[in-house]
Amino acid sequence: MTEAWLVILFLTIGTFGIRLTGVVIGQQVLKAGAWARAMRALPGCMIVSLVAVSVLSGGPREWAAGLIATAVAVATRNLPITMVSGIAAVWLLRHLG
Amino acid sequence: MRQDPLRHVPSGEVSLRDFWSGACEIAPLAIGVAIYGLAFGFLAAQARFDLLQVGIMGGFVFAGGSQIVAAQRLVADAGAIAAVVAGLALNARLLLVTASIREIYAGRPWWQIALGAHLTTDENWALLLAGRATGRDLGYWYLVGGGMCLMLVWCLATMAGAGFAHAIPDPKALGLDFAFTAAFIAIARSLWTGKNDLLPWLTTALVAAAAIRLGGVQPSWALILGGVAGAGIAGMAHHD
Repeated sequence: MTEAWLVILFLTIGTFGIRLTGVVIGQQVLKAGAWARAMRALPGCMIVSLVAVSVLSGGPREWAAGLIATAVAVATRNLPITMVSGIAAVWLLRHLG
Repeated sequence: MRQDPLRHVPSGEVSLRDFWSGACEIAPLAIGVAIYGLAFGFLAAQARFDLLQVGIMGGFVFAGGSQIVAAQRLVADAGAIAAVVAGLALNARLLLVTASIREIYAGRPWWQIALGAHLTTDENWALLLAGRATGRDLGYWYLVGGGMCLMLVWCLATMAGAGFAHAIPDPKALGLDFAFTAAFIAIARSLWTGKNDLLPWLTTALVAAAAIRLGGVQPSWALILGGVAGAGIAGMAHHD
Protein backbone atom coordinates (compact mmCIF):
# COMPACT_ATOMS: atom_id res chain seq x y z
CA MET A 1 0.00 0.00 0.00
CA THR A 2 1.64 3.19 -1.30
CA GLU A 3 -0.03 5.52 1.21
CA ALA A 4 1.57 3.67 4.13
CA TRP A 5 5.05 3.87 2.56
CA LEU A 6 4.62 7.61 1.91
CA VAL A 7 3.61 8.21 5.52
CA ILE A 8 6.57 6.15 6.76
CA LEU A 9 9.01 8.01 4.49
CA PHE A 10 7.90 11.53 5.38
CA LEU A 11 7.44 10.80 9.09
CA THR A 12 10.97 9.36 9.12
CA ILE A 13 12.50 12.41 7.42
CA GLY A 14 10.47 14.89 9.48
CA THR A 15 11.03 13.21 12.84
CA PHE A 16 14.76 12.79 12.30
CA GLY A 17 14.92 16.41 11.16
CA ILE A 18 13.19 17.56 14.35
CA ARG A 19 15.54 15.53 16.58
CA LEU A 20 18.65 16.74 14.74
CA THR A 21 17.47 20.36 14.71
CA GLY A 22 17.20 20.21 18.50
CA VAL A 23 20.82 19.06 18.74
CA VAL A 24 22.00 21.79 16.37
CA ILE A 25 20.02 24.72 17.73
CA GLY A 26 20.79 23.79 21.29
CA GLN A 27 19.06 24.69 24.46
CA GLN A 28 20.07 28.32 24.77
CA VAL A 29 17.67 29.45 22.06
CA LEU A 30 14.67 27.69 23.52
CA LYS A 31 15.53 27.53 27.20
CA ALA A 32 12.85 29.98 28.27
CA GLY A 33 10.20 32.30 26.99
CA ALA A 34 6.93 31.97 25.17
CA TRP A 35 8.23 29.54 22.53
CA ALA A 36 9.61 27.13 25.13
CA ARG A 37 6.37 27.25 27.11
CA ALA A 38 4.33 26.62 23.98
CA MET A 39 6.60 23.74 22.90
CA ARG A 40 6.39 22.17 26.34
CA ALA A 41 2.61 22.41 26.33
CA LEU A 42 2.21 21.12 22.77
CA PRO A 43 2.33 17.32 23.43
CA GLY A 44 -0.37 17.51 26.12
CA CYS A 45 -2.51 19.79 23.95
CA MET A 46 -2.11 17.50 20.93
CA ILE A 47 -3.27 14.53 22.99
CA VAL A 48 -6.24 16.45 24.41
CA SER A 49 -7.10 17.62 20.91
CA LEU A 50 -6.99 14.07 19.60
CA VAL A 51 -9.26 12.86 22.40
CA ALA A 52 -11.72 15.73 21.76
CA VAL A 53 -11.79 15.06 18.00
CA SER A 54 -12.09 11.25 18.39
CA VAL A 55 -14.85 11.41 20.99
CA LEU A 56 -16.82 14.17 19.23
CA SER A 57 -16.63 12.35 15.88
CA GLY A 58 -18.79 9.65 17.46
CA GLY A 59 -22.28 9.89 18.96
CA PRO A 60 -23.70 10.04 22.50
CA ARG A 61 -22.48 6.48 23.22
CA GLU A 62 -18.88 7.44 22.46
CA TRP A 63 -19.24 10.65 24.50
CA ALA A 64 -20.44 8.63 27.49
CA ALA A 65 -17.65 6.07 27.07
CA GLY A 66 -15.16 8.95 26.87
CA LEU A 67 -16.43 10.33 30.18
CA ILE A 68 -16.21 6.90 31.80
CA ALA A 69 -12.65 6.38 30.52
CA THR A 70 -11.68 9.86 31.76
CA ALA A 71 -13.03 9.06 35.23
CA VAL A 72 -11.08 5.79 35.27
CA ALA A 73 -7.90 7.52 34.06
CA VAL A 74 -8.18 10.21 36.73
CA ALA A 75 -8.77 7.60 39.43
CA THR A 76 -6.21 4.96 38.38
CA ARG A 77 -3.58 6.76 36.23
CA ASN A 78 -3.22 3.39 34.54
CA LEU A 79 -3.04 2.89 30.76
CA PRO A 80 -4.19 -0.76 30.40
CA ILE A 81 -7.03 -0.36 32.93
CA THR A 82 -8.23 2.80 31.20
CA MET A 83 -8.13 1.08 27.81
CA VAL A 84 -10.07 -1.95 29.06
CA SER A 85 -12.65 0.30 30.77
CA GLY A 86 -13.15 2.43 27.67
CA ILE A 87 -13.52 -0.58 25.39
CA ALA A 88 -15.92 -2.29 27.81
CA ALA A 89 -17.95 0.91 28.22
CA VAL A 90 -18.37 1.54 24.50
CA TRP A 91 -19.16 -2.15 23.87
CA LEU A 92 -21.83 -2.18 26.60
CA LEU A 93 -23.37 1.13 25.50
CA ARG A 94 -23.59 -0.02 21.88
CA HIS A 95 -25.15 -3.35 22.81
CA LEU A 96 -27.63 -1.85 25.28
CA GLY A 97 -29.11 0.55 22.88
CA MET B 1 35.61 4.26 17.83
CA ARG B 2 37.28 7.62 17.25
CA GLN B 3 38.66 9.35 20.31
CA ASP B 4 38.96 13.10 20.61
CA PRO B 5 41.71 14.02 23.08
CA LEU B 6 40.26 17.52 23.58
CA ARG B 7 37.02 16.14 24.99
CA HIS B 8 36.21 13.91 27.90
CA VAL B 9 35.09 11.14 25.61
CA PRO B 10 34.99 7.99 27.72
CA SER B 11 37.23 5.05 26.89
CA GLY B 12 35.78 2.08 25.05
CA GLU B 13 35.38 0.15 28.27
CA VAL B 14 33.45 2.89 30.02
CA SER B 15 31.33 3.40 26.89
CA LEU B 16 30.36 -0.27 26.89
CA ARG B 17 29.58 -0.23 30.59
CA ASP B 18 27.38 2.85 30.17
CA PHE B 19 25.70 1.29 27.16
CA TRP B 20 24.72 -1.81 29.15
CA SER B 21 23.63 0.24 32.17
CA GLY B 22 21.37 2.26 29.93
CA ALA B 23 19.99 -0.85 28.22
CA CYS B 24 19.29 -2.64 31.53
CA GLU B 25 17.95 0.30 33.53
CA ILE B 26 15.40 1.19 30.84
CA ALA B 27 13.70 -2.22 31.36
CA PRO B 28 10.77 -1.05 33.54
CA LEU B 29 9.98 1.69 31.03
CA ALA B 30 10.40 -0.79 28.19
CA ILE B 31 7.52 -2.87 29.58
CA GLY B 32 5.24 0.14 29.22
CA VAL B 33 6.59 0.71 25.72
CA ALA B 34 5.84 -2.94 24.85
CA ILE B 35 2.17 -2.58 25.85
CA TYR B 36 1.94 0.65 23.89
CA GLY B 37 3.64 -1.12 20.96
CA LEU B 38 1.12 -3.97 20.93
CA ALA B 39 -1.63 -1.37 20.82
CA PHE B 40 0.04 0.50 17.94
CA GLY B 41 0.52 -2.73 15.99
CA PHE B 42 -3.17 -3.44 16.31
CA LEU B 43 -4.04 0.03 14.99
CA ALA B 44 -1.46 -0.19 12.20
CA ALA B 45 -3.10 -3.39 10.99
CA GLN B 46 -6.42 -1.53 10.85
CA ALA B 47 -4.65 1.11 8.73
CA ARG B 48 -3.67 -1.82 6.45
CA PHE B 49 0.06 -1.72 7.22
CA ASP B 50 1.76 -5.07 6.69
CA LEU B 51 4.32 -6.56 9.11
CA LEU B 52 7.30 -5.26 7.13
CA GLN B 53 5.89 -1.73 7.12
CA VAL B 54 5.19 -1.87 10.87
CA GLY B 55 8.76 -3.04 11.57
CA ILE B 56 10.37 -0.48 9.28
CA MET B 57 8.22 2.33 10.65
CA GLY B 58 9.16 1.38 14.22
CA GLY B 59 12.86 1.44 13.46
CA PHE B 60 12.95 4.50 11.21
CA VAL B 61 10.33 6.82 12.73
CA PHE B 62 10.83 5.47 16.28
CA ALA B 63 8.38 7.88 17.92
CA GLY B 64 5.37 5.99 19.25
CA GLY B 65 2.91 8.82 19.74
CA SER B 66 3.36 10.15 16.22
CA GLN B 67 3.09 6.66 14.72
CA ILE B 68 -0.20 6.12 16.56
CA VAL B 69 -1.58 9.49 15.55
CA ALA B 70 -0.57 8.96 11.91
CA ALA B 71 -2.09 5.45 11.80
CA GLN B 72 -5.23 6.73 13.50
CA ARG B 73 -5.57 9.45 10.83
CA LEU B 74 -5.17 6.83 8.09
CA VAL B 75 -7.84 4.63 9.68
CA ALA B 76 -10.12 7.70 9.68
CA ASP B 77 -9.41 8.11 5.92
CA ALA B 78 -7.85 11.53 6.43
CA GLY B 79 -5.12 10.89 3.85
CA ALA B 80 -1.33 10.64 3.94
CA ILE B 81 -0.62 14.40 4.23
CA ALA B 82 -2.92 14.86 7.22
CA ALA B 83 -1.39 11.77 8.83
CA VAL B 84 2.16 13.09 8.43
CA VAL B 85 1.28 16.62 9.61
CA ALA B 86 -0.51 15.31 12.72
CA GLY B 87 2.38 12.97 13.53
CA LEU B 88 5.03 15.65 13.12
CA ALA B 89 3.07 18.15 15.22
CA LEU B 90 3.14 15.61 18.02
CA ASN B 91 6.90 15.14 17.54
CA ALA B 92 7.71 18.85 17.68
CA ARG B 93 8.51 18.44 21.38
CA LEU B 94 11.48 16.19 20.48
CA LEU B 95 13.26 19.38 19.37
CA LEU B 96 13.27 20.56 22.98
CA VAL B 97 14.20 17.10 24.24
CA THR B 98 17.38 16.79 22.14
CA ALA B 99 18.13 20.50 22.62
CA SER B 100 18.08 20.06 26.39
CA ILE B 101 20.91 17.49 26.31
CA ARG B 102 22.86 19.10 23.48
CA GLU B 103 26.21 18.79 25.27
CA ILE B 104 26.24 14.97 25.23
CA TYR B 105 26.37 14.97 21.40
CA ALA B 106 29.02 17.72 21.25
CA GLY B 107 32.42 16.86 19.73
CA ARG B 108 31.32 13.46 18.42
CA PRO B 109 31.65 12.15 14.87
CA TRP B 110 28.64 12.85 12.66
CA TRP B 111 27.39 9.26 12.70
CA GLN B 112 27.30 9.23 16.50
CA ILE B 113 25.40 12.51 16.54
CA ALA B 114 22.90 11.13 14.02
CA LEU B 115 22.57 7.82 15.91
CA GLY B 116 22.19 9.50 19.29
CA ALA B 117 19.64 12.02 18.01
CA HIS B 118 17.59 9.27 16.35
CA LEU B 119 17.62 7.09 19.49
CA THR B 120 16.54 9.92 21.80
CA THR B 121 13.02 9.34 23.16
CA ASP B 122 11.05 10.65 26.11
CA GLU B 123 11.87 7.50 28.08
CA ASN B 124 15.66 7.23 27.82
CA TRP B 125 16.01 11.02 27.96
CA ALA B 126 14.03 11.10 31.22
CA LEU B 127 16.07 8.17 32.58
CA LEU B 128 19.32 9.97 31.70
CA LEU B 129 18.19 13.15 33.46
CA ALA B 130 16.97 11.17 36.48
CA GLY B 131 20.30 9.30 36.72
CA ARG B 132 22.28 12.53 36.45
CA ALA B 133 20.10 14.12 39.12
CA THR B 134 21.43 11.53 41.57
CA GLY B 135 24.99 12.58 40.77
CA ARG B 136 25.97 9.79 38.35
CA ASP B 137 28.26 10.69 35.46
CA LEU B 138 26.06 9.47 32.63
CA GLY B 139 26.18 10.55 29.03
CA TYR B 140 25.93 9.61 25.39
CA TRP B 141 26.34 5.82 25.59
CA TYR B 142 23.89 5.51 28.46
CA LEU B 143 21.29 7.26 26.28
CA VAL B 144 22.17 5.11 23.25
CA GLY B 145 22.01 1.87 25.28
CA GLY B 146 18.54 2.74 26.54
CA GLY B 147 17.48 3.82 23.05
CA MET B 148 18.68 0.58 21.42
CA CYS B 149 16.82 -1.51 23.99
CA LEU B 150 13.65 0.54 23.46
CA MET B 151 13.93 0.23 19.69
CA LEU B 152 14.23 -3.55 19.87
CA VAL B 153 11.23 -3.81 22.22
CA TRP B 154 9.22 -1.30 20.17
CA CYS B 155 9.78 -3.07 16.83
CA LEU B 156 9.04 -6.53 18.25
CA ALA B 157 5.95 -5.39 20.17
CA THR B 158 4.45 -3.42 17.29
CA MET B 159 4.98 -6.30 14.88
CA ALA B 160 3.48 -8.73 17.40
CA GLY B 161 0.48 -6.42 17.77
CA ALA B 162 0.02 -6.20 14.02
CA GLY B 163 0.33 -9.97 13.64
CA PHE B 164 -2.14 -10.64 16.44
CA ALA B 165 -4.62 -8.12 15.03
CA HIS B 166 -5.42 -10.34 12.05
CA ALA B 167 -6.79 -12.97 14.42
CA ILE B 168 -9.46 -10.56 15.67
CA PRO B 169 -12.59 -10.67 13.46
CA ASP B 170 -14.25 -7.24 13.71
CA PRO B 171 -12.66 -4.65 16.01
CA LYS B 172 -15.71 -2.37 16.00
CA ALA B 173 -18.09 -5.11 17.12
CA LEU B 174 -15.87 -5.68 20.15
CA GLY B 175 -15.53 -1.97 20.92
CA LEU B 176 -11.83 -2.16 20.06
CA ASP B 177 -12.03 0.88 17.78
CA PHE B 178 -12.29 2.84 21.04
CA ALA B 179 -8.98 1.41 22.36
CA PHE B 180 -6.93 4.40 21.25
CA THR B 181 -9.33 7.05 22.39
CA ALA B 182 -9.12 5.40 25.80
CA ALA B 183 -5.32 5.13 25.55
CA PHE B 184 -4.99 8.82 24.74
CA ILE B 185 -7.22 9.69 27.67
CA ALA B 186 -4.85 7.74 29.93
CA ILE B 187 -1.81 9.39 28.32
CA ALA B 188 -3.35 12.85 28.78
CA ARG B 189 -3.84 12.00 32.44
CA SER B 190 -0.14 11.13 32.78
CA LEU B 191 0.89 14.35 30.98
CA TRP B 192 -1.17 16.51 33.35
CA THR B 193 1.28 18.49 35.48
CA GLY B 194 -1.10 20.75 37.40
CA LYS B 195 -3.51 23.65 37.12
CA ASN B 196 -1.24 25.49 34.68
CA ASP B 197 -2.41 22.94 32.11
CA LEU B 198 -6.07 23.74 32.67
CA LEU B 199 -6.40 26.81 30.43
CA PRO B 200 -4.34 25.43 27.50
CA TRP B 201 -6.17 22.09 27.63
CA LEU B 202 -9.59 23.73 27.89
CA THR B 203 -8.72 25.99 24.95
CA THR B 204 -7.58 22.95 22.98
CA ALA B 205 -10.77 21.00 23.64
CA LEU B 206 -13.05 23.98 22.90
CA VAL B 207 -11.25 24.96 19.68
CA ALA B 208 -11.21 21.33 18.47
CA ALA B 209 -14.87 20.91 19.40
CA ALA B 210 -15.92 24.17 17.73
CA ALA B 211 -13.91 23.36 14.60
CA ILE B 212 -15.39 19.90 14.20
CA ARG B 213 -18.99 20.46 15.35
CA LEU B 214 -19.64 24.07 14.27
CA GLY B 215 -17.00 24.89 11.67
CA GLY B 216 -17.26 21.64 9.74
CA VAL B 217 -13.45 21.41 9.67
CA GLN B 218 -11.87 18.04 8.74
CA PRO B 219 -11.08 16.15 11.97
CA SER B 220 -7.35 15.95 11.16
CA TRP B 221 -7.11 19.74 10.80
CA ALA B 222 -9.37 20.34 13.79
CA LEU B 223 -6.84 18.25 15.70
CA ILE B 224 -3.91 20.48 14.67
CA LEU B 225 -5.96 23.65 15.22
CA GLY B 226 -6.87 22.60 18.76
CA GLY B 227 -3.33 21.55 19.67
CA VAL B 228 -1.71 24.72 18.34
CA ALA B 229 -4.33 26.95 19.97
CA GLY B 230 -3.73 25.31 23.36
CA ALA B 231 0.07 25.51 23.03
CA GLY B 232 -0.26 29.15 21.96
CA ILE B 233 -2.26 29.95 25.09
CA ALA B 234 0.39 28.17 27.20
CA GLY B 235 3.10 30.23 25.47
CA MET B 236 1.32 33.49 26.25
CA ALA B 237 0.88 32.58 29.92
CA HIS B 238 3.16 34.33 32.39
CA HIS B 239 4.31 31.28 34.33
CA ASP B 240 7.05 28.76 33.48
